[in-house]
Formats: sequence, C-alpha cells, structure tokens
Amino acid sequence: MSEPLSRIPAGMRYYSGSEARLRREIENTLVSTFGGWSYEEITTPTVDYYSLFEHGMGRSQAHHAFRFTDTDGRMLAIRPDVTSLVARAAATLFAERERPLRLCYVAPVFRQQPQSHAEWRRESTQIGCELIGASSSVSDMEVLAIVCEVLDHLNLDRHCSITLNDVEVFNGIAEEMHLGPDARNEMRELVDTRNAVDLERFLAHYSCLADSRAFAQLIQLSGKRKTLAEARRLITNARSQAALDRLERLWSVIESLQLEDRFEIDLGDVSRLDYYTGLTFKIYVSGAGTRVGSGGRYDGLTASFGRAEPAVGFVLELDALTEVLFARGYESSLIHGSAEATKLTANNLRDLFVTARKKRARGKRVVINSIEVSD
Amino acid sequence: MTDLTIAIAKGRLQEEALELLTSAGLGFSSETLSSRRLAVEDESGRYCLIFVKPADVPVYVEHGIADCGIVGRDVLLESDADLLQPLSLNIGACRIVVAAKDDTPLRQLGMLRVATKYPRIAAQHFGARGVAVDIIKLSGSVELAPVLGLADCIVDLVETGKTLQENGLGIIEVITDSAARLVVNRASYQLKAEAVGQLIKSLEVALLRRASGD
Repeated sequence: MSEPLSRIPAGMRYYSGSEARLRREIENTLVSTFGGWSYEEITTPTVDYYSLFEHGMGRSQAHHAFRFTDTDGRMLAIRPDVTSLVARAAATLFAERERPLRLCYVAPVFRQQPQSHAEWRRESTQIGCELIGASSSVSDMEVLAIVCEVLDHLNLDRHCSITLNDVEVFNGIAEEMHLGPDARNEMRELVDTRNAVDLERFLAHYSCLADSRAFAQLIQLSGKRKTLAEARRLITNARSQAALDRLERLWSVIESLQLEDRFEIDLGDVSRLDYYTGLTFKIYVSGAGTRVGSGGRYDGLTASFGRAEPAVGFVLELDALTEVLFARGYESSLIHGSAEATKLTANNLRDLFVTARKKRARGKRVVINSIEVSD
Repeated sequence: MTDLTIAIAKGRLQEEALELLTSAGLGFSSETLSSRRLAVEDESGRYCLIFVKPADVPVYVEHGIADCGIVGRDVLLESDADLLQPLSLNIGACRIVVAAKDDTPLRQLGMLRVATKYPRIAAQHFGARGVAVDIIKLSGSVELAPVLGLADCIVDLVETGKTLQENGLGIIEVITDSAARLVVNRASYQLKAEAVGQLIKSLEVALLRRASGD
C-alpha cells in the first residue's frame, strides 16, 4: 500500500493564521533589534559540504544532519547549524573586512534526529547574532545586552532566566585532575546532569571528601554573586580562577545595569565543552520546557576555516518562542492587517483592478471578490 | 497555582516515594492517598503530585509538564531522556542483571538472543563488549523466555531474586544498581530554582534522618 499523501514527516509542521503572523512579528522584532545594534543580515547556503559542519559543530552534533552525496561523490548536508557557515564566510569572504564583524541571520536548520524527546522539531528556525573579531568582555556584554533587549520587546523580561557559565572553570578543574578523555567526559556528564551524589563519589578519588562534597553542592544549584565567592574558595587552579574573574567582572556590569534579576550563575552548564571556549549562556522562559536560546564564546571555531579569531554569538529558537508567546495569548496585539478590508466587486475586470490599485496605492487592505464577473 | 508539579511512578515505588515526601514535610490526608485521583495537591497547596506509569515519568518531566519526578534509575537509563538528576533517593533499591539458566550461552561467541523489557540497556551492555545480540522485546514475565527457549538469557530488574530462582534462572552478571532518583526538568531547574532547591534540601534532610535510623 502506498504512503498516504496526507501524512507529514515527524518533526515538521505548518504555520498559518494568527500563529504565522505572530511568528513573523517575532522575527521582525528580533531582526530590527539586531539592526539597531548594527548587525548586518547574512543569508547562507542551505546545502553545504558535510565536512564543514563536522569541523564547525563537532562530529557528535553534525552527525544528526540530513546527508546525501553530490554528483562528484562528496558528502553534502542540509545545514544543521548556521554558525559554521557564518564563521567560514568571516574567514574567507569577509577576510579583508574591518573587525569586528557584526552579522545576524534568520534561517531554518534541519536534523534527522530531534535534539531531545521534548525538542521534537527536525526543522527549526534559528535567529542569531555573531560578533567576530572581538575578544573583550565588552563584546560578551554586548550580546547579553541584545538578548535582554529582545526579551524586553517580547514582554518576556519578567518570565525569563539567563544562566551564565565559563567553560574554563570546568576545563581548569579537569586539567588539574589530569583526567583522560573518558574520565573527563564522565565528569562532564555528572556535572551536566547535576548528579551530585555520583559526582561526589567520582571526585573523592582525587580530592578530600569535604572539598568533593562542597564542589558537588556548588554545581548543583545556580545562584547570584554568592555562587562566585563560594566557587573561588573551592577552586584554586589558575585557569579556573581566571574564568571566575571574567564571570565576576561580567556580573558586576550586569548588576550596575540592574539586570541581575534575569541572570543566574550556573557552573553546572557544561553541555558543549568541545565547542565553546569561554562564556556560555542559556535562555529559559516560563512556559517552555526546554531552553529557547543559547550562546557563548567560540574562539576556536574560525581557526578551522583558516583564520583564528575570537568570536561570540547566540541563537534564539523562533519556533519555541512562537509557541510560548502564542500560548500566552500575546498574539492579539500582534495581528497584522486588522484594519477593515474593502471587498471589491465590479462589473468588469478593468474597473475592478483600477479601483483595487488605487486603494492599494493609499495603503488600504482590499479583498477581491473572485466570483467571475460577466463583461 | 502550585509551585511544583511532581510526577510519581505508579506501582513499586509509589508508596515509598510518598513516605519519603511526607517525611520531607509534604502533607497528604489519608483520604487523598486512598482516592483514585491521578493528580492531587499536598495540604500546603504548594505541590501537585501526578501519578503516571514509570516509563511516562521522564516524558512528563522532559516536556516540562511536571517539574520534577521520582522514578527508578532503570527507567531513566532505558528512556535516554535529557533530564537533571540531582538526588539519589535510596528507595526502591534493586539491580539490573543478566540472568540465564547457566552461563554457557554467554561464553559462546556467536549470536546471543536476549529477552528483555529494557532493549536499550541490553543493547548498550552487550554492544560495549562487542557481542552480537538479537534483542527480543517483551512486556512482562520475561523469566519465561529462556525456560521456553525464546532466548538464551534475559536482562531484567531484580529486587530479591526470588522470581528468577523459582523459574530456574540465576544471575550471571549485574549490569548496574538501580535506586530511585529525583529528576528535574532543565528549564524548571532555572525558572523555579528556589522551589526546586527547597525540595532537594528537604529531601536530603529526610534521607539523612532515615539513614541515621530516626
């Protein structure tokens, strides 16, 4: 029996009506905000070589891409990620441009497997910013300020939590413990799942019991400035300390901007150590069971495309944001074209369209009555 | 509006989980507990408990419909859900084992037929040592499979080992221990940090009190 044509593949969907309008409105809000911070839009290829994504996102992530072969036998992929494509353009097309580069994009990405059971989509639209060629804490704060403004515009500023971490805190500890790749990954997983009991057991091989326990507690709960002070007391290696210094400086700026209500220090966020090199952050909003955005510093990425330079950026998930705001009933204020439409009927086609074009020139909304008129 | 929704695995763990939550300070009237309602509130009105099948606990929590859950580690390993596991609860202790009539089939290097309710755990266990397996997924009475010749061995959850014994099977190998865990949704962990933190603390205190035999 043939597959019914009505069937939609898992993880794909349509948008229509007020939901589609809301989605477009969110997109416009974000893009115009990025424009306001001088980010230029860039459109990337939808299909590119698989090896690009393998270098860009790491094999474990790139693996989830839809893949097929080109006519010359090389492996292609439908983009599972935009950052890799932007980073390559920065290193090649924009090699001669003045730094820093400020680029933004709106682009659907595709995965054969959804990221998790709850993130069921296999096509999702990412809206993101990349700030390439600037390493200072100024640029870390710049992208966080953009995220905050976006959440303001979407009226989510009181319903959000942005968690901050620096992957060098973990890297410093793992280095100090001389962990091999397997042990390092085991520790990463225990920290990532906040599995304090097993982490304490794991650490007890390397450190005294009291410190193991204290560290396990530390990664378990996120917090504000106090978390950093506690971390400083426990973690003494130079690499981690430098990262804690960076976080503390960033936190001071956040406090001085009175934005600390939206932020948490979360030393347990170590989900993508292979990719990020410094600051990482995740964006959560009430009503969404998974994060709606994430970002961080990835100073190692552009080197794989031939030009090593610092970079920081973030993506917001347009579909997840649409879902949250739609469920909140936010759509009512965003419905476009609510102005009354003029319904046009005429006895002949010429008159009909002369009127229609006049009204359109004045910006009026029209609906053509498509019932055939007799000339 | 309650602060936190907690999904509880029905069945084996349910009673112990409720006892633990009670000693952590949640109050439930006896009439609430004896009712057949699948969603109940505690007396403070801060917590809502929902009772679902064990395998559905990770599903509710991963989607954020429940903020937290109490469920066996066996279910978590099998579900591959992306969840936080801040606390091991010391209740419902049991083991996931490989059991067979004797260890002969496991010493052969050909294909091993494994009957189980845990296809993922079984595939991972035998995959890690490069053994080719035919995994036969069953929904219950797994112990029958080797007896009747459907499989060479089983991978199953064992509490006392009595059922195995009565069916002429023995434990060949322990894959892992499996006690209950507190699991938390990643977003709730941040957005309801205070409430989740309080729940973890009071459960920790309750567990310590129990361990010291109070």
